[in-house]
Amino acid sequence: MTKPRSSRTRSKRRSGGARPWLGWAIKLSIVGLVILAGFAIYLDAVVQEKFSGKRWTIPAKVYARPLELFVGQKLDKNDFLAELDALGYRREKAVSGPGGASVAGNDVELHTRGFQFYEGSEASQRLRVRFSGDFVAGLSRANGGEMPVARLEPVLIGGLYPAHNEDRILIKLDQVPPYLVETLVAVEDREFFNHFGVSPKSIARAVWVNLTAGQVRQGGSTLTQQLVKNFYLTNERSLSRKATEAMMAVLLELHYDKQEILEAYLNEVFLGQDGRRAIHGFGLASQYFFGQPLAELKLPQVALLVGMVKGPTYYNPRRNPERALERRNLVLDLLAEQQVVSVEDAAKAKQAPLGVTQRGSLADSSYPAFLDLVKRQLRQDYRDEDLTEEGLRVFTSFDPILQLKAEQAMSETLKRLGKSTEGVEGAMMVTNPETGEIQAMLGSRQPGYAGFNRALDAVRPIGSLIKPAIYLAALEKPSQYTLTSLLEDEPFSVKGADGQVWKPQNYGRQAHGTVYLYQALANSYNLSTARLGLDLGVPNVLRTLERLGASPKWPAYPSMLLGAGGLRPIEVADMYQTLANGGFNTPLRGIRSVLTADGEPLKRYPFQIQQRFDPGAIYLTQYALQRAMREGTGRSAYNRLPQSLNLAGKTGTTNDSRDSWFAGFSQDLLAVVWLGRDDNGKTSLTGATGALQVWTDFMRRADPLPLQTPVPDNVAYAWVDARSGLGTDERCPDAVQMPYIRGSEPAPGPGCGLQAPAESVMDWVRGWLQ
Amino acid sequence: MNKQWMSVLAVAALMQGCATVDRRAIPVVDAGAPVSEEVAARQGYRAPAAPAAAQQEDSGVVVMVPQGDSAPLQTFAAPDTAFSGSVDSGSAAQPTWQPAPSISAPASAPAPSAPSGIPSSSSGLAADEQLDGPVLALLTTAQQQQGGGDLNGAASSLERAQRIAPREPQVLYRLAQVRLAQGDAVQAEQLSRRALSYASGRPALQASLWELIAQSRERQGDAAGAAQARERAKVSL
Repeated sequence: MTKPRSSRTRSKRRSGGARPWLGWAIKLSIVGLVILAGFAIYLDAVVQEKFSGKRWTIPAKVYARPLELFVGQKLDKNDFLAELDALGYRREKAVSGPGGASVAGNDVELHTRGFQFYEGSEASQRLRVRFSGDFVAGLSRANGGEMPVARLEPVLIGGLYPAHNEDRILIKLDQVPPYLVETLVAVEDREFFNHFGVSPKSIARAVWVNLTAGQVRQGGSTLTQQLVKNFYLTNERSLSRKATEAMMAVLLELHYDKQEILEAYLNEVFLGQDGRRAIHGFGLASQYFFGQPLAELKLPQVALLVGMVKGPTYYNPRRNPERALERRNLVLDLLAEQQVVSVEDAAKAKQAPLGVTQRGSLADSSYPAFLDLVKRQLRQDYRDEDLTEEGLRVFTSFDPILQLKAEQAMSETLKRLGKSTEGVEGAMMVTNPETGEIQAMLGSRQPGYAGFNRALDAVRPIGSLIKPAIYLAALEKPSQYTLTSLLEDEPFSVKGADGQVWKPQNYGRQAHGTVYLYQALANSYNLSTARLGLDLGVPNVLRTLERLGASPKWPAYPSMLLGAGGLRPIEVADMYQTLANGGFNTPLRGIRSVLTADGEPLKRYPFQIQQRFDPGAIYLTQYALQRAMREGTGRSAYNRLPQSLNLAGKTGTTNDSRDSWFAGFSQDLLAVVWLGRDDNGKTSLTGATGALQVWTDFMRRADPLPLQTPVPDNVAYAWVDARSGLGTDERCPDAVQMPYIRGSEPAPGPGCGLQAPAESVMDWVRGWLQ
Repeated sequence: MNKQWMSVLAVAALMQGCATVDRRAIPVVDAGAPVSEEVAARQGYRAPAAPAAAQQEDSGVVVMVPQGDSAPLQTFAAPDTAFSGSVDSGSAAQPTWQPAPSISAPASAPAPSAPSGIPSSSSGLAADEQLDGPVLALLTTAQQQQGGGDLNGAASSLERAQRIAPREPQVLYRLAQVRLAQGDAVQAEQLSRRALSYASGRPALQASLWELIAQSRERQGDAAGAAQARERAKVSL
């Protein structure tokens, strides 16, 4: 490209010679003009091509779940306000427009911004939310009128960036706040609306200003030239580039009107660097620096962003707040000087703080573990270019409120446990057992850690977490096993197929004699469990595990019965999800739907279930897991949780406490916690003293609904004697109620003396009726 | 240069094509025609709740196994109406769990039972009238979307309702209907079964669910299973 140009200049220089050469000179000039014209035509094509096509590639944006609002919803007011903060709502005395919120006691009034979802669009509206305790007690339009349900816009939690890491949020000219265009024109290119791409007047003024000031204060570049420079050219500083830039600027103005050029400029301009990510355009810069949509910015914020155009790094308001403030105030003075705003308004705006958020709220680094999951799923379904270029909008089930609570539970519990947790890593999965949606995820004990994602990738022996699979396999055979079947908890050894002798041991090396089946699970006795598992057959147990949702390729060794096999935390979550959800397996999901950049539905990840177990057998297993929480290995949870909170769960500990697990659920929340060392070294944490403590702390913060599983049709409660396990009468001492699969209730025992007469009365009545 | 130019143009055009995807071009699930079984089913709800009849042995519920290489498992025999004398209120969550004798349920901590966001699935009366504000609103939206032929939108709205009221069997019932209209008979049956587990004491809804299971099985080519489900539908009513 530069070649024809340089030959042209050379030829011009030569043409300045004597008269006989004039003819040649004319000819050469014609040739030069032809070449110049050709070059212009080429430039014109370049200008039009890039400008009329897709101007930018936009990375896919990943959103958290939108917060739903409805009367009766369990939602703490403080959690709600935290969500509003994350969305960049302004706290105001009186709500002034979209993105504003005012709080008065238990009432919150807010003006939502509206959003395009898969199901349709949510309008921007003024809402009044009334809280009572942990619940939403009222939801109405601000002008009165009931509102059955509404939702906020979702928090943006990250993006999928291409190699060049350029990011932007596209805006349209009609979405810009007041003063933005005026300020930009006033500061960068006063003649913008009058010139034809280049402005001799501006250049002259710039020269004058710079000369009188003795330093470079103003550039003569028009907005159009700046756009051309960023858009088409390299950063090279040379006269030839300057000439090309001017030509292209003129060509651009020939083809496109000022509005289009301005809009492109607003979206193209570079305004900051976030790690490896380049912040382009005012739309993204507004979100990045203020956590707010561009349209909501006020005069001082507009002045700051426009001021930054001159040197985004030099005037970075987070790194160099004093410089940025000075620059902003200079811009405001300029606006007053040019009468864009009144002197009073400028003075008032100068009083405002910079108002930038602590850190970039769109930082890709906030929730790396969950984003990792989302990216893996998306890469299965889309090509990389689609994800990094097409501006897809990805809606997930991620719940920032629960994520924060999980992070706090992990870090604060480990801090509380002190020295014993040094060098111990952690992972956590939080899901909704009824929908199978993943709501939060920790890949490390350290929030925001972007490396090894233990929740998805750490395969660790699960210890006693496998036991529910054994008991479920047993309880599926109600003619052989009930919750009150008697098991022997005594030492034994078996010889495996490979000739090795396997001799299981209890934790604490103590045998417990004869125990009820539910007790063996609740207290996690190894001897009785191993014997039960051997009776059922190891392959049968592994098959049950597979039906629960975990399908490891474990060999059918007896040691597998006590959890020698490894699983990932996400697989454990899937397994316990089936237990929590009445025996219906749901593939765990993190993504709900995907929209195109224009808001058109593209793909949905629908809720899918498959019944894998009889609800009765699941009900009984859940019952035993609830006893584990009340009186078994999980009982310390109730030191910190209210008795009214019904929970089911199981501890898991492997040899020498190399792994500390807990998996458990309430009605609406399932969580799996793993603690251990990456090098598989010993810890001093059992499932109960380690992972359960994190789990309990999380549940305390999340305050879930108590577990209440409807009694399946094939289950009945029967009165049994707590000592003998035999059927008895309600009025007898030691009578307790236990659930059974219908038909498997224990036969009546001798009773307690009251039963016999009752029976004979019945016999008498029967005889009388016949 | 021209060649290069053309190829740039071609790529640009291609990308443009990618950027604007027609909404029906890449659906997850095939959007079939909306079905009108809706009306019949709704009338089914309003049918007077007949006294629950005695139940024969076969529960008709088949448990799925992951690879389906072993025979489906018949569940344990069970009467359909589980509890005697508790048809009126709160029967769905009846005896819940009795703690061990040593533990008595504390009366102090207020159980957040009242506004849980989960509409109580109590009696078998005309079920539509019992729905809560948000669920009813979303079911109505879903119905409009389905009426307009937007089955994906309808399913999505119903899943939104499900997140608000995961135990409301009517939501699952409607979702099953939409799935069937989308041609996913397997999910339609599974969702109906899940709904049944929450529909205790609501015989009209149970009958509708069994009827939907029957249709799903027919769609899957399982005539015998469909007939069996129809029997259950009769019994439920």
